[in-house]
Amino acid sequence: MILLLKAWLRDWLRHPLQRLLTILGVVIAIAVVLAVDLANQSAQRAFDRSMLEVAGAATHQILGPAEGFDERHYRDLRWAGWRDLAPIVEGPLRLETGDSVYLLGVDPLAEAPFREAAAGFGEIPVQRLLTEPGTVLVPPAWLEARNRTGEVEVTVRGVSGIYTVSAIPAPAGAAQGQIWVADIATAQELLGRLGRLDRIDARLQRPGADAELQAALPPGLELVPVGARDAAARELAQAFRINLTAMSLLALLIAVFLIYNTQTFSVLRRQQVLGSLHLLGVGRNPVLAVVLLEALLVGLIGTGFGILLGIGLAQGLVGQVARTVSDHFFVVTVTAVEPRPLALAAVFALGLGLSVLAALAPAFEASGQRSIAASGRAALERRSHRLTGHLFLIGLLMLALGMAVAGLGWGDLIGGFVALFLLITGFLLLLPRFLASGLKWVAGPVADRLDSALTRLAGRSLERSLSRSGPAVVALTLALAAAIGVSVLVGSFRVSVTEWLGVTLTSDLYLVPAESASGRGGARLPGEWVSLLSDWPEVASVSTGTTQDVVSGRGLIRLFLLEPHADWLEHLPLVAGSDPDLDQRLQDTDAVLITEGFAAHQGLTLNDRIDITVPAGSRSFAIAGIYRDYSHPGGTVLMRSDRYHGGAAPGFHSMGLRVGAETAVEALESRLADWLRDRDAAALITRPETIQRESLEIFDRTFAITHLLRVITLGVAFVAILSALVALQMERSREYAILRSTGLLPGGVSRLVFLQAGLLGLFAAVAAIPLGLGMGWILIEVINREAFGWRMDVLLPGWPLAENLLLGIGAALLASVYPAWRLARMPVVPALRVES
Amino acid sequence: MVDRMATPASSVLECRSLGFSYDGAAGTADVLRGVDLVLVPGERVAIVGESGSGKSTLLHLAAGLETPSAGQVRLKGVDLGTLSEGERTRLRRNQIGIVFQAFHLVPTLTALENVALPLDLMGRERGRALQSRARAALAEVGLTDKADRYPEQLSGGEQQRVAIARALVHRPALILADEPTGNLDSVTGESVFRLLLEQVEATGSALLMVTHSDALAARLDRTARMVDGRLLKADVPAAADPA
Ligand SMILES: Nc1ncnc2c1ncn2[C@@H]1O[C@H](COP(=O)(O)OP(=O)(O)OP(=O)(O)O)[C@@H](O)[C@H]1O
Ligand SMILES: [Mg+2]
Repeated sequence: MILLLKAWLRDWLRHPLQRLLTILGVVIAIAVVLAVDLANQSAQRAFDRSMLEVAGAATHQILGPAEGFDERHYRDLRWAGWRDLAPIVEGPLRLETGDSVYLLGVDPLAEAPFREAAAGFGEIPVQRLLTEPGTVLVPPAWLEARNRTGEVEVTVRGVSGIYTVSAIPAPAGAAQGQIWVADIATAQELLGRLGRLDRIDARLQRPGADAELQAALPPGLELVPVGARDAAARELAQAFRINLTAMSLLALLIAVFLIYNTQTFSVLRRQQVLGSLHLLGVGRNPVLAVVLLEALLVGLIGTGFGILLGIGLAQGLVGQVARTVSDHFFVVTVTAVEPRPLALAAVFALGLGLSVLAALAPAFEASGQRSIAASGRAALERRSHRLTGHLFLIGLLMLALGMAVAGLGWGDLIGGFVALFLLITGFLLLLPRFLASGLKWVAGPVADRLDSALTRLAGRSLERSLSRSGPAVVALTLALAAAIGVSVLVGSFRVSVTEWLGVTLTSDLYLVPAESASGRGGARLPGEWVSLLSDWPEVASVSTGTTQDVVSGRGLIRLFLLEPHADWLEHLPLVAGSDPDLDQRLQDTDAVLITEGFAAHQGLTLNDRIDITVPAGSRSFAIAGIYRDYSHPGGTVLMRSDRYHGGAAPGFHSMGLRVGAETAVEALESRLADWLRDRDAAALITRPETIQRESLEIFDRTFAITHLLRVITLGVAFVAILSALVALQMERSREYAILRSTGLLPGGVSRLVFLQAGLLGLFAAVAAIPLGLGMGWILIEVINREAFGWRMDVLLPGWPLAENLLLGIGAALLASVYPAWRLARMPVVPALRVES
Repeated sequence: MVDRMATPASSVLECRSLGFSYDGAAGTADVLRGVDLVLVPGERVAIVGESGSGKSTLLHLAAGLETPSAGQVRLKGVDLGTLSEGERTRLRRNQIGIVFQAFHLVPTLTALENVALPLDLMGRERGRALQSRARAALAEVGLTDKADRYPEQLSGGEQQRVAIARALVHRPALILADEPTGNLDSVTGESVFRLLLEQVEATGSALLMVTHSDALAARLDRTARMVDGRLLKADVPAAADPA
């Protein structure tokens, strides 16, 4: 057994690079999978925790109009005997540094049973929150991140001025919090909502209590179960995660492949050792035991380092993910990756399991061989050639199945992922066959045509070592295709978003509150501005828009209240319900437009109805049209502002101004700037170009992570190619020695290696084009449509395709630099002495 | 380039006080010690000796595949030690043909392509001319009908015949053969050996052949015996002996 181990493991000393690559393959694969998963999970948990802290232990929430409601309603309810209630005012708070945090204003006395953050309130903070205005509890992590301890002064930009607040660390129980907490009076002041509440949390335990409470509410207030609000927000976050999940699945696929690849290599390479051992009468089990031992070792080392690297990578990724979530949904801050034991265990099992399985299969085969002939490379290649035929058939089958699933639109998101998986795998299985034919063609007609012995040699030896070149090409193809697929998705998406922005931003100037409006409520501009500004001679037309969450028959929905320019419908990208009377209908009847995303999520179509609570109470609205919109993944309902308010709006989020024919935009801009100086409400003037640019910046930030993954993926493919080339070089060293002894120059050897790498890269790059386009198509047409309800035109990217061609060949050539250099310097005689 | 440092070019191969050693864990092991050997054009010399005495090593040095640790090798008057790796390779492919005991055909090339390989690497001929020359060489060894077979589809004797054709196709001045019949049975070995002699005769190349068989050695012009890295001369024609 000892000798057996020696015979098997000596390879580690003789070919350290090869072994190192084996381990590296496992390390990278595991690191990528873990990093994506960790970043995803960490951001998700931060999000969940924020939701929990905001919603607390409430079972229901009393919601009113988006502007909030008078705090007297809370007192009235308490007087009426409703005890388990907690008033809340909340919203984003801008720090002097420009960062935003989420501020929750609570009544510390009513709060205790409700909130995790509050559960840890010690006596002193409660006292201080109550008695000292301008005191806030901040997460200790926030202070730590700034190297501050104890109580500090923080300057914040409130809606109506700059405030300095005393930030005291929240008690340990709330140590993980994301949310800043203040007494309700302080929060009202900071958020500019004196005397108003955003909601009242309620804990209703008695059956039937909800109906009673609803009955006790004044008009305009609604009792909503907590789940409804939570679910809406959660769904949004989920939609974003789906794209990331697609990415991590891809990473997983590549990981599985890479581990299998490198481990199989490492065993196959020594099949002769296995064969000889078998012929010497060594039984199957001891051989398998030795292989298993080694695989475990590789798996253990590789997975261990992979996990470390993965955690490190995740630290980098998580900020990105958190930022995206914040951009789109909710202010979350993730300070650290928290690896969950379960995820680590799963990844560990994956790495170890794959390593062992990948090594065992070929070992099992080899240890059972009857003759030395069967254990040779030639036999292995014969088998691989036969295998390519089978794989081809299986691949065709999977492709057909995948197209059926995608084409028939079976099921939903799951169907999309299944189709994606089937198409990718099916296509990849076709490749070895194509590669074999392609290489035959290169070694035959092409080499004859070029009259180049090197080309012939390169093609033949690649074709003869299909068990090496095949998997390497498949890995590179997959990586490049993923890159193309993502390019197609992101590129098409970006073009669609740009076009959409261009169409929807129809004003010459926009006015927005100086404070960013997010969450419920948010800063607004006064409604009377509309009539004031409409009277200006420079202004041709004014529009306003307000986005708010309102209660509906389908839970909390996002409502966009629009007071449009006269020609607005000409610019709205309607996909259904186009009708000359549409504008009239929206003005005179209870009718709304919905976005594609909303239609998809809610399963609504034209002429369906939806109950929406407007200030005057709940009414049924007809869906008069569906339009394209990328502003919000969950979808939006568009209603005319006058329909909602039954008259002029008290306030709005943004105003669009069109200048008259004779007026220069700059003239209006400067007059507006002067005018704004004398107003109470702080507003900013923006140009549509700025909005467009900022929107696209957020867009690019959202997809930055996919570019990162793309780079990682290519790195993985690079390792795959490198390990294949090193393996080839080792196996074929005698062949190279013969060529050298026959008169091939050292430079010729290098050229041969480069030629081979270039051929592999070229093939992979070409093969990646159809696969990548297919992947992009599925990502757009199936997955994004199912997840977001977004439709977009599939765009054929010209430059990314060319770029990927270069990238593929470049990666392959780069991977061949070292093998080429080494091979050119290889001493000839030792390689010749090795018997065939 | 070939004529640089030329000495009177009467010799094809000239080894002077040739030494070679391996650096191992147990110090350096001398494999060759003070070997002197000269081959004139068309001369056929056999090297015999015990296993491990250094015969293959001598051939590798003569081919410029290894670098001597002492002394020098001159090929057609050119000192290999003064050449770069590339120049040595060029000289080898123009002037030398090698036949190995283990045949060493390129497994990814057919018989015909293996034979064409040296011509191809030399780059003097291309296309049809090259093809027909390779075909002719293959015909010389009687394998016209197996031209498109890969090495693994040929018997050992056939493979060695292809190797002989490959070694001679470009009419080198010197053939180095390391136990060319060592892997073959006696009948096949005899026919391959005879073929080798015929071909050497036809091209006028000199031949340096390592063999274990005294009978084969006796059929060459002279025999040198290798003992522990030293070359003992026997049957040396006085005219060819430089000493
Ligand atoms: N890489 C090496 N490292 C150390 N010693 C070596 C190495 N290669 C060969 N040798 C030694 O060099 C000596 C000469 O080897 P060589 O192959 O020239 O012998 P040979 O006469 O051709 O033997 P045979 O008749 O068995 O082929 C041998 O003793 C061998 O052990
Ligand atoms: Mg020998």
